[in-house]
This record gives sequence, structure tokens and C-alpha cells, in this order.
Amino acid sequence: MTREHPGLFLAPAAVTLGAVALFPALAVLWLSLEERSPLLAAARFVGFDNYTRLIADARFWNALANTVYFSAVSVALEVLLGLLVALLLARAFRGRALLYSIILLPWAIPTVVSARLWEWLYNADYGVLNYLLGTHVNWLGSPGWALHAAILMDVWKATPFVALLLIAGLQTIPRELYQAAALDGAGAWTTFRRITLPLLVPLLLVVLVFRTIDAFRVFDAIYVLTGGGPANSTETVSIYAYKVLFQALEFGYGSAVAVSVLAVVALLTAVYARLLRGSMT
Amino acid sequence: MTNHTPGRNCLIVAVLLLAALFGACKPSGEESSSHPPVVVFKHSKLFGDPRPLAQLLAEFERANPGVRVRAETLPAASDAQHQYYATNLAAGAADFDVFALDVIWVAEFARAGWLRDLSHLLPAAEREAFFRGPIEAVTWEGRAFALPWFMDAGVLYYRKDLLDKNHLAPPRTWDELLHAARTVTRTESGVHGFIWQGKQYEGLVCNALEYLWSHGGEVLRNGQVVLDSAANRAALTFMRELLTSGVTPEFVTTLTEEPAREIFGRGAALFLRNWPYAWRLFEQQGSAVRGKVGVSALPHFIGGKSAATLGGWQLGVNRHSRNPQAAERLAQYLTSPAAQKVLALAYGYNPPRRALYEDPELLAAQPFFAELRAVYERARPRPVTPQYVRLSQVLQAEFSGALAGLKSPSQALIDAQRQAEAILR
Repeated sequence: MTREHPGLFLAPAAVTLGAVALFPALAVLWLSLEERSPLLAAARFVGFDNYTRLIADARFWNALANTVYFSAVSVALEVLLGLLVALLLARAFRGRALLYSIILLPWAIPTVVSARLWEWLYNADYGVLNYLLGTHVNWLGSPGWALHAAILMDVWKATPFVALLLIAGLQTIPRELYQAAALDGAGAWTTFRRITLPLLVPLLLVVLVFRTIDAFRVFDAIYVLTGGGPANSTETVSIYAYKVLFQALEFGYGSAVAVSVLAVVALLTAVYARLLRGSMT
Repeated sequence: MTNHTPGRNCLIVAVLLLAALFGACKPSGEESSSHPPVVVFKHSKLFGDPRPLAQLLAEFERANPGVRVRAETLPAASDAQHQYYATNLAAGAADFDVFALDVIWVAEFARAGWLRDLSHLLPAAEREAFFRGPIEAVTWEGRAFALPWFMDAGVLYYRKDLLDKNHLAPPRTWDELLHAARTVTRTESGVHGFIWQGKQYEGLVCNALEYLWSHGGEVLRNGQVVLDSAANRAALTFMRELLTSGVTPEFVTTLTEEPAREIFGRGAALFLRNWPYAWRLFEQQGSAVRGKVGVSALPHFIGGKSAATLGGWQLGVNRHSRNPQAAERLAQYLTSPAAQKVLALAYGYNPPRRALYEDPELLAAQPFFAELRAVYERARPRPVTPQYVRLSQVLQAEFSGALAGLKSPSQALIDAQRQAEAILR
């Protein structure tokens, strides 16, 4: 083999990525420009008609607002709580490994299973949550509570993941920096603000990218907990896309909804990537 | 048809490549000279012993020499089946011949041209043998596109013991139900008045229609949307009042069939709206309410008539079937009185044929069939339209908004009317 054909070695990876990532994405993009429904025997190119329909679709904007709210609140809470947990657990103590594995449990349980679990906890008739709080709140059945109930479950599930990543980050900060700060008489808060936080920023941004993208696509947890109800108050863009694609079988319009998720996620990633580059230099 | 867009071709190439990769060689029901014709029968799994159905199919083969039947099951989730049939039928698949359709798909599939016209199998006399609801449900533009196989309809379950204790009769009107629920829950602690299915999903539409209809209201009349009517407003307002008055707990907005059945089944509710399947479970060994449960038609508003939403399964024949004659014979055979009796005895599924509700053997096995007959006479299909799924999604969201108190019932109906008109335009 000569040096002239490095492309040959890249080919398997390129073909695989093309087949499993690029092709489906392009196919969905293409579908979003068609009116396609097996029920209407429709399959024709309609340009941006689906997107003009999207812009005028109140249900879509409601779903987008729900998704943005869900993502913003849950990710903010997860990062804050995750950081707190990481700071508490980063120091060396006996039984640390065991504690880490216990903490990771919520993250390890498949989402559909934990959603069922939370469905029981939230049960308004005999759920543990109402029992402990001594209340009769209709957690999953009232428009004011349902989305927050979903957020709480997401925070429960993802905080350990955030904490674990941040613990790893904390351990890469050289001890000398802390010793020097201590010699200079810096207090705990100053040390955190001047040393820990700045050095964690790149990792925090990575965590934010992962969590935001994940939260923005939320489907399984909410699908099991509420199915999008009551009154579409928990319908996220992914759930809406599912209902259009797989219940109403409007493949063209449903793809447009799905592409909108992709667009927002791409935008968010670009913003984060920019911030990340800034924080590295 | 402009099917030959580049996207579709790419997709086909990709699928073929994948098929080649995995050596996926799908068996098909193709007729060939050396093999007898195979009729493929697709249906969702029947819950229970698979043998009675297998025996029926074997009997059909004996009666039709030269025809072989292969039964294939699909997952129980209705959405998954809908998607499976729609995508395969749209692609002209011929690898299944007879298949079971949910009652709400018939118009959709018939309009798409996927079903064989079976009108000749349902002459007037035969149509009379079935309840009216299932016949309406399989009819699209005056032609029949499927044969009713099993049926379902909403019924009212009540606690006989609690009503007797308070000298109350089973309610015939919604007001009587309110009165009875208030009277009983005043003295019985831990008992909810009336439980039903109020979560935002298909079941909510089934429930709500029963109130609308029993007040003389409708969703569609002659193809026109008539949601925003005085009758519908009064009916939906009553549903909301069930919650605000405490007769129905607010968490009914989270309930589907099974959680609702479970609450009544452990003795924590006086009334329950559910499908007939629940009866067996209430009467089985170890049930907390065994022997204490009565069934009746759902109540109605004063001046209205009791109504029940129709559910159930029909058998259709794939228009692209390569063995249409044999397929039609199989559909006819499986919906015959004899076969429906076997299936009712073996699986407890309710036949859509009137005469079977007078069959002594069936009545002995399922005593409450006697009660069911009156309900089934009144069972009505949900709006028969090819756009049913989209219409239902609108109704689910708007009814849910009214129940949760997010908007007034009249606003919900105005909003539903506007969206439904846009869909059916």
C-alpha cells in the first residue's frame, strides 16, 4: 500500500457514517419538502409548503414553547445540582466508589421503566408523593403541574450523570493551585470562584451541550407519563412529531416538524461550540 | 400517482441494499403452480389459549381443500398495527390477504383504495343479522369494506351492594347517577363516585362522545362539523361538573381503561364506565368486588337516549390479495355465527351478531351477555371519516382542556369546531 491512497482507509468509516447518519438525515430533509401520506395516496413535491404550515400551526408553537421551557428549567437544575453534588463528593473518603455507583442508578435505569415508576409516585389517588406531602395534588392530570412533574423526573434522572462528569473534571484540577490559594489566604468561596469554576467551564459547556440536546429531544419519559396531555400541556416537539408521523401518518409534515427539532439543536450546538472555543483560549 | 420521486427511489435502493445485506428473504403468500394457495391472515394476538383459533383455521382448510391458511400476529398496540398496515398497503404489499381492522380505520383504508369491496357478502338479510353500529362502521360511501368480527361498547358498571344499601336503583339518567353518587359517597369513606377515562388519548374521545350523543349532540352531520352546538355544550359542561362537584375525582384526567378498572376492582368506586372486558376480571376468584357488580347501559340526559361508543375489530380483504376468493371465504367463515360463538366462548370477545345474544350456551358461559344486547343495539361508531386520526387528536386536546378547566366547555367546542373544519375541508 502506498501513501497515495489514505482515502481507502477512511472509506469504511465514511460509508458507515453516510449510511447510518447522513442518508437518513437527508431523507428526512427531503421528505419535509413533500406532501406524503399513504392514507391520501399523496406523494408530491411541495417545496416549503410544510414549513409555511408549521409557522401558522398554533399546536407546533405550543409544543416548541413546552420543549424550550422543559429544556431550560431541567438543564439549569441538573447543572446546578450536579455541580453541588460533585463538589461534595469529589474529595476522597471511604466507600466513595460504592456511593458513586448508587448515585448513578437513576441514570442506569431505562427511561421508560423509571417513567412508570414516577407515574406511580405521582399517582394522585394513592401515590407516595401525595402521601408524604399530605396533599391531593393531581400531578400528571393538571396543566399547571404536569410539565413540572416531567421536569422533576428528568432532573432526578440526569443529575447523577452531570455530577459524575463534573467529579471527573474536578479531579483534573491540579492540587497545587488549591495549596497556593490557601497560602494566599483565599477562602472557600474565593477558591471556588477563582480556581474551580474557571477551570471547570470547558467541561460545563460540554455537559450543557449534551444535556440540552438530550432534553430538547425529550420523548420517552413524557410519552409514558402523560402522552402529551392534559390539553397538550406536556406535548413537546418530539411528541408532536410522533403523533403526526406515526399516528396521522403525515410523513411530509411530520418530517418538517422533526427537521425543526434538528434545526434548533444544530443552532444550540453552534452557540455552545462558539462559547467552548472562547473558553479554551 | 406521482410515486417516482427521487426520495422514494433512494429509499427503495437503500431498503434493497439492506435486505441484501441481511439476506432478508421474506416469505410471501405467493401462489405458484407447485404449491396450494396460501391465505395469510394478520391479526393482533388474541389473549388466551391460541388453540381454539388454530382449530377454527384448520377446520376452514378442511372445508376448502387446496387452500392453506397461515395466521400471523402483530403487536397489540393499535398505533403500531395502523402504521404497519398503512405503510404496507400503500406500497401495494400482497403478502397478507385477510386482516383485522380497528373500527376507526375502515373509512381511511377504504378511501385509500386498499380494501376489497365486500358488499356482496353483506346482503340486506345478512346486514340485519348484525347490530347496526358495526355495519355503519364498515360502510364507506354506501359500500361495505369489511365484516364485523368482534365488538365493544361503553357500559356502566355499578356496585349493587352499595346501591341496595342506600335503597337506590341503577341510574338511568345522568342526574340520577349524580344523585346516587352523592348519596353513597356521603356515608361510604374511601369510595369515589364515578370513575371513567379522562386522560388525553383516544379513550377520552370514546367517553366524551357518549355524553354528547346522549344529549342529542354530534360531531359530524352529513359530513359537516357540528361540534359547536347547544347540546354538545351542555354535555361537555356536565362532564366538567362531574369533576368540580367531586363526584368524579380530578385525577380522572390521568386515567385510561386499566387504572380505572383497577380502582373500581378494589372496591374504591361506586360507578365505572369501561368496556365489557372488565366484567370477567371483576367476577374472577379473589376479586374484591366479586358478586357485587351490576352492568347496564350508560345513563342519558333527560330527553336524550343512552349512547355507547363502538369499539372492536373487523376483517378486511387486501385489494392486492392474490387469492381474493379464498380470502373472502376466510373472512366470511371467521365472521360466521359458528366461528364467532367459538371465539366468544374461548376468548370472551363479544360477537357483533344479534342472534348469539340469545344462544343458551353462550348465555350460560357469559351471563351478562343478556345485559349487553341492549347496549350493543345502541352502540355507535366514532365519526366515520378518512381523517379520523387527525380529528381525534383535536378532540382529545380540546376535551382535555375543558375537563382540566383550562378553557370553558363552549370555548373548547368553538376551538375544536374551527380545527376540525380545517382538517375536513
